[in-house]
Amino acid sequence: MRGTDSLEQTLIPGVTKLVLGWAARGRLWDYLIAFAIILGLNFFLPRCMPGDPFLAIYGEEAVLHLSPQVQAELMAQYGLNEPWLTQLWYYLRNLCHGQLGYSYYYTTPVSHVLLGALPWTLLLAGGSLLLSFLIGTVLGIESAWRRGQTLDRGLLTGVMLTGSLPDYFLGAVLLLLVAGGLGLFPLSGAVTAYTNWHGPRLWADVLHHLVLPLVAVTVAHVGGFYLMSRNAMLRNLHRPFILTARSKGLTETAVRYRHAGRNALLPVVTEAGVAAARLMTGVLFVETVFAYPGVGSVIYQALQARDYPLLQGAFLVVTVTVLILNYALEVLYGRLDARVRDHAH
Amino acid sequence: MLEIKSLTLDIGSERILRDINLKVAAGEVLALCGESGAGKTSLGLTVMGLMAGQVQGEVIFQGRNLLPLAEEEWRRLRGREMAMVLQNTDDALNPVLSVGAQLLEAVLAHGLFDRAAAVLRVEELLAQVGLPEHKCNSYPHQLSGGERARVLLAMALANDPALLILDEPTAAVDTITKAELLSLIKAISPGRAVLLITHDLAAAAVAARIAVMYGGTLVEVGTTPAVLSDPRHPYTRGLLRSFPNMTTVKDLQGIGGEGGRAPGCPFHPRCTQRLALCGHKIPALQLREDRWLACHRGGIVPLLQMRNLGKAFDGQWAVAGVDLTLQEGESLAVVGETGSGKTTLARMIMNLLPPDCGQVERDASLADGAVQMVFQHPRASVSHRFSALEIVREPLDIKGILADRDEIARAMIAEVHLPVDAAFLARYPHQLSGGELQRLVLARALVLEPKVLVADEPTSALDASTQAKILRLIMALQEKRGLALLLITHDLALARKVCDRAAVMLQGRIVEEGPAQSVFTQPSHPYTKAMVQHAPQLTGVLPSPLPGAAGTASGGCPFWPRCPESLVVCREVNPPLVADGQLRIACHLVSGQGSLAG
Repeated sequence: MRGTDSLEQTLIPGVTKLVLGWAARGRLWDYLIAFAIILGLNFFLPRCMPGDPFLAIYGEEAVLHLSPQVQAELMAQYGLNEPWLTQLWYYLRNLCHGQLGYSYYYTTPVSHVLLGALPWTLLLAGGSLLLSFLIGTVLGIESAWRRGQTLDRGLLTGVMLTGSLPDYFLGAVLLLLVAGGLGLFPLSGAVTAYTNWHGPRLWADVLHHLVLPLVAVTVAHVGGFYLMSRNAMLRNLHRPFILTARSKGLTETAVRYRHAGRNALLPVVTEAGVAAARLMTGVLFVETVFAYPGVGSVIYQALQARDYPLLQGAFLVVTVTVLILNYALEVLYGRLDARVRDHAH
Repeated sequence: MLEIKSLTLDIGSERILRDINLKVAAGEVLALCGESGAGKTSLGLTVMGLMAGQVQGEVIFQGRNLLPLAEEEWRRLRGREMAMVLQNTDDALNPVLSVGAQLLEAVLAHGLFDRAAAVLRVEELLAQVGLPEHKCNSYPHQLSGGERARVLLAMALANDPALLILDEPTAAVDTITKAELLSLIKAISPGRAVLLITHDLAAAAVAARIAVMYGGTLVEVGTTPAVLSDPRHPYTRGLLRSFPNMTTVKDLQGIGGEGGRAPGCPFHPRCTQRLALCGHKIPALQLREDRWLACHRGGIVPLLQMRNLGKAFDGQWAVAGVDLTLQEGESLAVVGETGSGKTTLARMIMNLLPPDCGQVERDASLADGAVQMVFQHPRASVSHRFSALEIVREPLDIKGILADRDEIARAMIAEVHLPVDAAFLARYPHQLSGGELQRLVLARALVLEPKVLVADEPTSALDASTQAKILRLIMALQEKRGLALLLITHDLALARKVCDRAAVMLQGRIVEEGPAQSVFTQPSHPYTKAMVQHAPQLTGVLPSPLPGAAGTASGGCPFWPRCPESLVVCREVNPPLVADGQLRIACHLVSGQGSLAG
């Protein structure tokens, strides 16, 4: 059984990445194909394992922990004794009802666990994606505009430094110094426990908990956007339309942002798609460091407990989220660049 | 309006522009021509303050020197007082902004319009450049090259600038669009100074004046008709010869060598009339007659000048007072029917016949043997005791060039498309065909690398295919070494393809002379018209016969008995040769004296 988890852990993300890369170039149809392939992988891989299908899907630990009664219920629900085609039918039907399996570790359906965790991950990963995108792009544009000057060199060096630090390390340092040492921010969690705050009070509390993990992830990811936008900007600064813009007598800011920056944005948006995929799973470590109750923490728990259905469910949720994000970015790309829109039709 | 004084631009250690002096008046279109890399765009950008580099000199616009201005002051001028249309490449417009957004931005940039007025202004601009209003919503990649050019022009016109710089506005568009754009440019030029940067001489032809640039310097500046029909700088002539167009008739020729920058006169490595001086001293732009020229030799050098040249046989003038000039590197056709005095003229040029009046002045640069002749009858012009090799080698022997003389002669024989095997080289004239002999004679004339070739019907005995090759060889030598050709022929169709200028001779006098395209496509003299009508055609249509017979005139114009349009005065007075621009014509009908007398 050792082979099972290693296969799953290396194969699924690898294939997912491949599928994603291919689908990102296409349109909605391609995304649907990618989605189908992901579902297929999720369904077939565990069932391809030799031996007892229940054992393969649920793992040894589950077999030990679950009562025979529950086991029999699950066997029946997923039709694990039926032929594959019937199993697929059961699988899809369950999926439509939002049933991803049963987590023996949390002793609740997988979907419940994930639905509780997903918003926090979206908040953390989405928030830092947005922040690092904005900060990185602006810094990249300004840096390229002043190429070779002090600001440019300083930023380059700074980004090399922060970019080379893993986000969980940054998180640990922040936790130690700012939360632990100075006591400015809470040490763990997403909200203060045992309160029934609501409205602005609750939001403030959520933000307060969010700050440190958000900063850690953002700082670690700003570098990619910065380098990408700086490069794109440098390429754009020598294109003829910049000269056209200047010959119109536009202000420097207009030339820099409206003309050069706007065009430099295109590859950065592509980068955002790639970064989104990385972030969704990358926040795992930071979530663990801050005990932030997101999908990352769930995956971590599931891994430790060998809770295979939960792991599979988490993967499915993460890949689907990334697919949706990528599709949204592609739509945005088309809005930013009419050429992409035209060539898609 | 715009005056550029001693403008020099360096980028790093490279000198991009050197001592540019140029004026553009309000309402004037000045075309700036030259090959790519000449510095045309750099000059435009420098005037706009958009060129990074070290600039010296002055750019005086509306009375003040712009070069000391701060960037913010430049910015306020750009797009408002002076606008530039950049070369219409795919990327000249921002690919991610709509046309309307980019136009609106240009209109709003200087605060001359509020937003509502600006939208109206954009519509007005689109109409002005002939684009439908809905193009506003288009993105640059959805437009054709011509439409993009119009958008760029509209953008430049946004704030009604006093100076408009257009960089290759007609590049990459079809001919009909090009014509539309050029009329548009003409339509917007009144009241503005327009600097039209182009490598397209047909586009430059709409300008009032043309400035030709080479290697970062101005080499020739003059009025458009003068520069295009009578280029004085060797580079300008080369540009014209290599530019395909429907006006000139000579076959295309290039400019020898490769472009680039050189010390001294930047053109000297490619110039066929360069002196040692040209390699190290930069020529200054000086006013010479009707134009400004930067050339140590004062422009294209006249190599042979015939002044009032005349020869009489038995009291009859075979050549009567001919004035003709043969320039360096040009082909001049002397055409006319048999007995018009062409061969006599050639013999006087070669000093084979002493003239009875006038003289032939040779340029001092012509060395001994630099003027060579090919005679009409090859068999009569070679010794029957010389072998083929000896015929070609003879001039080398006479000049005392002994080293490699056989190789030089053999190479020359090969160049005129003759075999160089031992058997052929050992043949004597009676063993050679007329065509082979004619080519040998040509090889003999060219073996000393002359500057001038006087050729009397040099290809009359050749098949058309060999004739074409021989003439291509001569034209290649002209491109490479600046060989000047005086082609004596009765074949107008041949002269039309080979010559820059043509002189028509009738009974010892020149009756029409000028650029080949004028003489051959718009002949003025009835005699020339008749010859053009009788020149080889592939239509099978024969021209109507001329009314009278040749040589029956006892006075007046020698052509009048055969002239379909002759007047009374033509029988009495032989018309003088009168200059009209680049043309000289001796005809009562053209000079207007006919109408006075008749």
